[in-house]
Amino acid sequence: MTQGEIDTLIARIATGDRRAFGALYDCTSSKLFGICLRVLNDRGEAEEVLQEVFVKVWNSAKRYRAGGFSPMTWLITIARNAAIDRLRKRRAGQTDLNTVRALVDPAPGPEAQAVASGERAQLAGCLNTLDPARAEAVRRAYLEGETYDELARRFAVPVNTMRTWLRRSLLKLKECLSQ
Amino acid sequence: MSADPSDRDQDKAQAGEYALGLLEPAEAAAFEARLVQDPDLRALLATWADDFAAFTDDIPQVAPPAHLKAALETALFPSSSRNSARFGWIMGGLLAASLAVVLLLNAGAFAPRGPGMTAMIAAENGAMLVAAAYDATDGTLTLERTAGAAAPGRALELWLIAQDNAPVSLGVLTDDTRTTVTVPAALRAQMSGSTLAISDEPSGGSPTGAPTGAVLAAGAVTPA
Repeated sequence: MTQGEIDTLIARIATGDRRAFGALYDCTSSKLFGICLRVLNDRGEAEEVLQEVFVKVWNSAKRYRAGGFSPMTWLITIARNAAIDRLRKRRAGQTDLNTVRALVDPAPGPEAQAVASGERAQLAGCLNTLDPARAEAVRRAYLEGETYDELARRFAVPVNTMRTWLRRSLLKLKECLSQ
Repeated sequence: MSADPSDRDQDKAQAGEYALGLLEPAEAAAFEARLVQDPDLRALLATWADDFAAFTDDIPQVAPPAHLKAALETALFPSSSRNSARFGWIMGGLLAASLAVVLLLNAGAFAPRGPGMTAMIAAENGAMLVAAAYDATDGTLTLERTAGAAAPGRALELWLIAQDNAPVSLGVLTDDTRTTVTVPAALRAQMSGSTLAISDEPSGGSPTGAPTGAVLAAGAVTPA
């Protein structure tokens, strides 16, 4: 299944096409379930979150274009955010603490340019240009959902220092990824 | 987009923080408000999302258990796939009904007392079969249910669909196999050539005045 085919399926889902929904599930659920399992490390929770993910896909397919995400990135981001959301709730003892923001839900406006996925392979190489601890902080934020507070404790620095580090690291990373 | 490079850097960093879920709720809300207005900021976020998605490249794919898809589709599409093609399905029902009417007339067991019409309200798969006889002299519609029943805690609701009009409820069927309903005077002129349909509804009938559940059976009203 190419990105173009997935893009077409999402566009059809936006019109209420249930067969397209079934087809998208068939070709992407293993990837997204793998992400949920990796983040949550709990099969039951991962199954629940995967269902949430596809409910979100069904309900927000109409808004997919406005965000300008490439199709797999859109799906991966929904899955990652839903899994991190669940993980943070678990950590917070079921209280709704610092919930990961839902996917972008912009009002109708000029469509952002669709992003080619060509630069994805560069991530690992560009992370290697960062101080290893800072690269690890970025990775932990994405895959473990760690907050600034948690990262600051882990790396034994004040929260404001952590914030400054990470912002600088992001700029450096972006510069490398943009080349 | 700002011409000031440091503002642009600020946006780049903040879009990355947002994509990672690192912003405080108030900051994230402010960022989202800007996103709505600013296509460049949306493009920036989209590139970050794409970059970070590469973190998942090495995560092994795992097939979810097979029952999950069915559960998901049941949750999202509660009235089953029939509903999506309701109109087409009704037309299929009409064909079945026209055959059924022939059988009914031959049997001669169920016919209006006076000048009237009949219908065979049938499920495509035969799971529900309700014979209807309409007496035009007093607007009485007598229904004889020979197959099918309401699901536990649900109700069967009868609808009159006249030509291209929206379905009009003729009421909820009782649990008795034989039910009589009186067609409102205003609707009687529309009976000829109309369609009778039965839908699955919450106990007490549709809360909206229109069918909310699956159409379980349908049939054309034809002269007796």
